Amino acid sequence: MIKKVLIANRGEIAVRIIRACREMGIQTVAVYSEADKEAVHTQLADEAICIGPAPSAESYLSMERIISATITSGADAIHPGFGFLSENSKFAFLCEQCHITFIGPSAEVIRKMGNKSQARNTMIEAGVPVIPGSKDPIYDVRSAAVAAREVGYPVIIKAALGGGGKGMRVANTPEEFESSFLTAQKEAKNAFGDDTMYIEHFIRHPRHIEFQILADSKGNIIHFGERDCSIQRNHQKMLEEAPSSAITPKLRKVMGETAVRAAKACGYTNAGTVEFLLENDERFYFMEMNTRIQVEHPVTEWVTGVDLIKEQIKIASGLPLSYKQKDIKIQGYAIECRVNAENPEKNFLPSPGTITGMFLPGGKGVRIDSAIYEGYTVPAYYDSMLAKIIVYADTREEAIVKMRSVLGEVVIDGIDTNVDYLYQILEHPDYCTGNVDIEFIEKMSEK
Amino acid sequence: MNLKNTFKKAGSISRARTDSMKKEIRMFGKEPEVPKGLLKKCNSCKSAVITEEVKDNYYICPKCNYYFRMHAFRRLEMVVDEGTFEQWDTGLQSPNPLDYKGYEEKLAVVKEKTNLDEAVITGKALIGRYPVAIGVCDSRFIMASMGEVVGEKITRMVERATSERLPVIIFVCSGGARMQEGITSLMQMAKTSAALKRHSDAGLLYIPILTNPTTGGVTASFAMLGDIILAEPGALIGFAGPRVIEQTIGQKLPQGFQTAEFLLEHGFIDAIVERPEMKETLIRLLKLHNIDRDRVKFDLSLRQKEDEEYQSNLNEIEDQKSISAWDRVQKSRKKGRPVSSNYIKNLFTEFYEIHGDRCYKDDPAIMCGLAFFHGNPVTVISQEKGTTTKENVACNFGMTSPDGYRKALRVMKQAEKFHRPIVCLIDTPGAFCGIEAEERGQGEAIARNLYEMSGLKTPIVSLIIGEGGSGGALALATSDEVWMLENSIYSILSPEGFASILWKDSKRAEEAAKVMKLTSIDLKESNIVERVFKEPENYTPDTMANVCKQIDYALCQFLEEKSKLTIKELVEKRYQRFRVM
Repeated sequence: MIKKVLIANRGEIAVRIIRACREMGIQTVAVYSEADKEAVHTQLADEAICIGPAPSAESYLSMERIISATITSGADAIHPGFGFLSENSKFAFLCEQCHITFIGPSAEVIRKMGNKSQARNTMIEAGVPVIPGSKDPIYDVRSAAVAAREVGYPVIIKAALGGGGKGMRVANTPEEFESSFLTAQKEAKNAFGDDTMYIEHFIRHPRHIEFQILADSKGNIIHFGERDCSIQRNHQKMLEEAPSSAITPKLRKVMGETAVRAAKACGYTNAGTVEFLLENDERFYFMEMNTRIQVEHPVTEWVTGVDLIKEQIKIASGLPLSYKQKDIKIQGYAIECRVNAENPEKNFLPSPGTITGMFLPGGKGVRIDSAIYEGYTVPAYYDSMLAKIIVYADTREEAIVKMRSVLGEVVIDGIDTNVDYLYQILEHPDYCTGNVDIEFIEKMSEK
Repeated sequence: MNLKNTFKKAGSISRARTDSMKKEIRMFGKEPEVPKGLLKKCNSCKSAVITEEVKDNYYICPKCNYYFRMHAFRRLEMVVDEGTFEQWDTGLQSPNPLDYKGYEEKLAVVKEKTNLDEAVITGKALIGRYPVAIGVCDSRFIMASMGEVVGEKITRMVERATSERLPVIIFVCSGGARMQEGITSLMQMAKTSAALKRHSDAGLLYIPILTNPTTGGVTASFAMLGDIILAEPGALIGFAGPRVIEQTIGQKLPQGFQTAEFLLEHGFIDAIVERPEMKETLIRLLKLHNIDRDRVKFDLSLRQKEDEEYQSNLNEIEDQKSISAWDRVQKSRKKGRPVSSNYIKNLFTEFYEIHGDRCYKDDPAIMCGLAFFHGNPVTVISQEKGTTTKENVACNFGMTSPDGYRKALRVMKQAEKFHRPIVCLIDTPGAFCGIEAEERGQGEAIARNLYEMSGLKTPIVSLIIGEGGSGGALALATSDEVWMLENSIYSILSPEGFASILWKDSKRAEEAAKVMKLTSIDLKESNIVERVFKEPENYTPDTMANVCKQIDYALCQFLEEKSKLTIKELVEKRYQRFRVM
């Protein structure tokens, strides 16, 4: 069993992992940048090691510093959380080389799934439905235009190494294709240092449905049902729920089995998420596989009763899954809201600064994962997420009402937040009736 | 809020539990540790970097772009076509001429350690399918210093390349001559240089690539003798090492002294090439110097219409007496008018800029390069004014320094060696007038160009695209033919200068322009120039396509015509062109 885990992350996910470790009797080592000396994760862990200056490239993204911190502290495993190095196959490879247990899939799997063209080919071979798209990597606008015609307009242009909406553009017509392609490619080059692109058919009004899976090293793979993450802005999720109001038990079974097949096809171990686009008529397509724990994992935890972080650690320790597929029952409804330090009035401009006053509510069916406190200064260097508020109730309607009530109680003074904006979503008639797709936020802000 | 106190209780839970677990034996395979060689330290930024990542990145530090030294065979893999390297002259032994104590043992140890038999490997390979003789120095072998074996291997390679008519490429790095072999090492400098002289006299190409470090006797011999000299970014290149200089003069040397960038600025190398672009660059240069290629003949029969068009355009210009000479002067200087780089883009393909006069400086007011014109390699020499204020300043407003003329002459001599026609684009208010220019011999530099150009054994054509200011222009126009754009000028002096000297009043420039006969039509009539090209009403880079078409046709005609002459006839014609003036 793993004895000591170094958490190569910050913020609420680092705190979440430290708490899980503590409950399992595992020692924890936090790493922090100079900007995070006073951060909760730094203070909460058994040990904390400063790994460099504030910019992530010199701290949370510095592989060799994190490896040195691990060896020095005597930790035998690294939990990468999400973001930062969590999906960096090179980092996972380094861990393997240094006999450090990387709590996640193997470097090989991360690499395979991180390259979208390769991931897609693996899925086609495994019989997982994919969106019609270009077969070969595309580097220039001329062959891109040919490919766009083949897959059929509207098309979406994506970076092969992309994520988080960077290097991604939709072109509705051949006329607007060229400029969209060039912008996306430039963005990709800047963000990932690679301008390999690919193009696929764009599905109108789909839902973003993702399936949580766990795979142990013995070859057992099970799924934990879906999360509906259709409420997103610029491909960044804002609010997630489980189960999805669009999924029937029958469809859940089909999609879940497909997700398991997808994970099997790439030899997956540990926690992962298979993302699908769901068309109105219940046709679904594989989008990508996230080879890490996700921000929105608590909604799945609540409706299934499983602690995903603990399961991750157990799997990484070589233990078999504690559950069988038939043990997984989806019960009740959970909704998660991401509270960010940003100003929706100013195009969601990040709003770092000191929290001068704060009240986070509680009560039955309320879970708040955060790493903020009164007097804490939100640094400008990192992601602006402050807290995740998760509520749980027997029905979707009750969960919505509960979330409204909780949001109404939240007080975060000193910086701007998106709490009021989240409240608006929860009051929106289309949201309340479950009539949503991934363009929901776009449509809402048009009105 | 003090979190430390807040979390005391929470923290104690796991501490209590883990204390009891400490006794347990670690069940997990091996202890975490960094295996040897997984990380390495960057010599420049001092940070630990992942060895694999450095290897995948052409041995460049991913953090600070420092260029790690490379093993000779890795270097070969990076540039030659896979599996094409055939090694020459292995197994040569150093005779230890000084009977230097411990030298043989040292050699034996280094050989064992590096698996190399000396500090340079030589052989033949293909680069982009072009056959080359290639040598690569390896700094692990006594700092790649040159003793008898290194000198011998390089000399043999160059000699064999001369007889097999191959270009030579050498990746140079060296601490200099090998001290342990005394004067024998010194003689290697002369031996290698002499072999390169013969190789060059045979009309063959030599490209040294200077890598970190290139110093001492190697710099003072085969490193600096290339037709085209390339260097890697940041490489230390010099004769005396920086430490020796500091000790001798008792001063601290400035930042960046003796780097590749310093040498480029001082005119000693042609270009700095990043490792990832090295192979492509070499292929481009080999293609431009491919001696097996036949000259592409121009079929002018299909373009007779253009001849008529040129004639009717010329008649139009001649009829247009209404535009005053002063108007033309103004137009020739107008901002927004196409500059040399616009012509280069429109007329030539695969332009590759080369730098430096090999004496003191690289003058940005002159741009030289190699390019293809309808598939035939040509040398292009152009005067640059720049288009933005920043560029104007960088190019010294097109006023050429002695260094610029010397660079042009060096490049022309090279064109002569490789039988490339020369195209000069002229646009200068005049040669630079300043203290440094006089110090470095502005007059001498101009005179030298007139002198050498008159006898150059390759066709030369000059096109005045804006201002043709005096000796500053003539230094690039002692050519077989001189052509002008309609609204360009060519004169003994600027109209302002003319008025000031003759009439003591520079304000009478307009009047001066009228009497100076400096317009294209005036000069065509007096046979100073051979061709004049009509310009559109508003002449800008956007409206120059048609003009370039005409120039293109004229160039084809010119080159076709000159190709029919013997070198002797060509030079004689050029002599007579000026003799009758």
